[in-house]
Amino acid sequence: MDEQLDQAPCGFLTLSEDGFILAINQTLLKILNYNQDSLIGQHVNSILTVPARLFVQFYFFPLVKLEHRVEEMYISLVNTKGEEIPVLINALLKREKERTVLDCILIPMHKRNEYENELLLAKKETEEALKAKHKAMAELETTLKKLEIQKEALLELNQENQKYQIETKKELELARIIQETSLTDPINNDQFQMEVFYNASGELSGDIYGIYKIDPYRYGIILLDVMGHGISSALITMTLHSLFQRLISAGFPVDLVMKELDSHLHKLFHNNEEARHYSTAIYLLIDTDKQKIDYVNAGHPPALWQDPNGTQYELSSTAPPLGTFEDVVFKTNTFTYKKGGRLLLYTDGVDPLASNYLAPLLRKTALLPLCRLKQEILTCLHNEKNVYHKSDDETFILVDFK
Amino acid sequence: MNQDILFRNNVKIKGKGKQSMIFAPGFGCDQTVWKSVAEAFEKDYQVILFDYVGLGHSDIHAYDSKRYSSLVGYAQDVLDICTALDLKDIVFVGHSVGSMIGLLASLRHPEYFSRLVMIGPSPCYLNDPPHYYGGFEKEELFGLIDMMEKNYIGWANVFAQTVTNNPELPEVKRQLEERFCSTDPIIAREFAEAAFFADNRSDLKKVTVPSLILQCSNDIIAPLAVGEYMHQHLPTSMLKIMAATGHCPHMSHPEETIRLITQYLNEASVSVVGSPAVRGVTL
Repeated sequence: MDEQLDQAPCGFLTLSEDGFILAINQTLLKILNYNQDSLIGQHVNSILTVPARLFVQFYFFPLVKLEHRVEEMYISLVNTKGEEIPVLINALLKREKERTVLDCILIPMHKRNEYENELLLAKKETEEALKAKHKAMAELETTLKKLEIQKEALLELNQENQKYQIETKKELELARIIQETSLTDPINNDQFQMEVFYNASGELSGDIYGIYKIDPYRYGIILLDVMGHGISSALITMTLHSLFQRLISAGFPVDLVMKELDSHLHKLFHNNEEARHYSTAIYLLIDTDKQKIDYVNAGHPPALWQDPNGTQYELSSTAPPLGTFEDVVFKTNTFTYKKGGRLLLYTDGVDPLASNYLAPLLRKTALLPLCRLKQEILTCLHNEKNVYHKSDDETFILVDFK
Repeated sequence: MNQDILFRNNVKIKGKGKQSMIFAPGFGCDQTVWKSVAEAFEKDYQVILFDYVGLGHSDIHAYDSKRYSSLVGYAQDVLDICTALDLKDIVFVGHSVGSMIGLLASLRHPEYFSRLVMIGPSPCYLNDPPHYYGGFEKEELFGLIDMMEKNYIGWANVFAQTVTNNPELPEVKRQLEERFCSTDPIIAREFAEAAFFADNRSDLKKVTVPSLILQCSNDIIAPLAVGEYMHQHLPTSMLKIMAATGHCPHMSHPEETIRLITQYLNEASVSVVGSPAVRGVTL
C-alpha cells in the first residue's frame, strides 16, 4: 500500500468477495486499535458490531453483488476495547487479474451519528404523536357514529311520541266534548237571565257546574272546582256531576246535597289516600215564589249578590271543601232577595291573584246588560293572563233575577 | 376474488412443468432475488413467484399492521395464493424467514405441500440459554432495526440513486428498484420485528411435510447450530451443508443451490416419501 493511501484521512479496506480482509490502512487500524497482522485474513465481521454483521449480510453484500458498488451506507465498527464506531462506508468491486476484490473507504461519523439519532428520536416522537392523533380521531369518529345512531333512535322515538301525542290529543278532544255535553244550558225565562263562561286550562277542566229547574218555583245552581286541573280532576268532576244532577233534580235540601257530595268523595278515596282530591263547591237553591235563596259554600270563593240598589253581599264559605274532613256538618244559609238583583258565581281561576276586582266591576256595571259584564270580566281575565301567564280552569255564572 | 389475490401479491407464473414450485423470498426481499434459481426450474416445473403484501410490487393498500405483525399473516399470503390457484402437492422453496413462513403455512394446510426446501432457516433468532443458541441478543436485533432506519431502508429511491451513475447496468438498476425501493419504511420495520422476534421452535415437531434444509457455511444469520437444531426437531428432514458462504446462496451461489434442490427432488421422487432413511447429513 502506498504511503498516501496508508495515511489517508479516511479508513481504507480491501475485502475478498466473501468478506475477508486482504488489506487495511494505518488510519483504520488506529481507529480500531489493532495492529496489521491480527486483522489480515480475518473476516470483516470481526470488526463489525453484531447489528452491523446482520445488516452487511442483508444489504451490503447483496448490493455489491447486484450493483458492484455501495455508496453512503451507515454501519458500526467495534474496536479492541469494545467501543462502537459509527462509520459511513463506500465500496467498489474491482476485478484484478485472478480475483475480484472490494475496495472500501470508511469515514467515522460520531457527531453526525448523534445528530441523526436526535433526528430519529424526534421523528419517532412525531410519529407517536401522529398515531395518538389518528387514534383520537378514530375514537371521535366512533363516538360520532354512536351519536348518529342515538340520534336516529331519538328521531324514531320522537315520531312515535308524536303519533302518540296526536292520538292522545284526539282522545282528549273527545273527552272534552263529553265533559262539555254534561254541562247544562243557562236558563233564560221570565224569572232569570243568565250568562255562563266555562274555559279549561287544558283540554279538560277541573271545574263543573249545573243549572236546574226543579219545579216551576225552584231552581238549583251549583258550581264546583276540583283541586288541580287536567284529566284526573276532570274525571272526578264527572262522578260528582252524575251525583249532583240526581240529587238536585230530586229537590233535596242544600245541606243534604252537599253532605252527599262530601261523602261521595270520602268513599271514592277511602282506600287510596294518594289519589285523594278535594273540591270546593257552592250550591244555591232558589225559590222564586218565596224569593228566598238557600245556599252552602264549602271552601269556594264567595259568590257575590248585588241588590237592585247596589248593595253587595258575599256568600262566603262556611264549611271546609268537600272531601277534606269526615263528619262535617253543612249548615244551610238563607237569605231573601228582591227582584232586579244580580248574582255572580265564579271559580278561583277567574280571580287568580285574589285581587277582588270582581266586586267593584259588578258595582260599576250594575246598569249594563249581563253580556256587557261578561265581556268586562273576560277582558280583565285576558289582561291578567298576559301579565302572569297563569293558567287555571275558569268558570263563572252570571244571573239576573227578573 | 382469485384475481384480487394474484394482484395483491403480484403473483407471476412461468414454466412448463405439471407440478408447481413456489418461491418465497426472505426478509425484506421481493421475488427478483429468485431470478437465477427459479429460471433453472422452469423447464420441469410450473414456477410461481410472488411478493408479500407491503413488498415489491404487491398492493400496498392491502397492508394491515395487525395481520402482518406475525409470520402467521405472511403464511396466510402463501395459503391465499395456493387457494386462489387451486394448488396441491407443491414444492415450496423458502429463503431465511420465508422458510418459516412456508413451514407455518404447511401446518395449516399440509395437503397443499409435497416438499419444503428451506434455505438458511431459523426457528428463533434469539438466544435462549442454556439450551438454545439462536445467535443473537435482543439488543443486537434492535440494533439491526435501528441501522435499517439510519440507512433509510424502505425510503423510495435511496438505493436506486447510486445506480444512476452506472449507465452500463440498466438491468441492475431496474432490479434494484424492485428489490429495495417499493417497501415502505414502517412496513420494513414491522416485517423486521415479525421476522426477528419470532419463536417457532415448538412448531417444528408438528410439521408433516418432508423437508430439505440448506445450511450455508459461515452463515452468521442462521449458524450451523441452528440448522442442526432444525434438522433434529423437524420430522423427515434432510440437512445439507453448502459450500456456499453467507446467508444468500441463491444469489451468491445459484449453481450449488440449484444442484442441491434438484438432487433432493429427484431423490425424493424415487424414495419412499417420509421414510426415516431420508434423514441424514450430507456434507
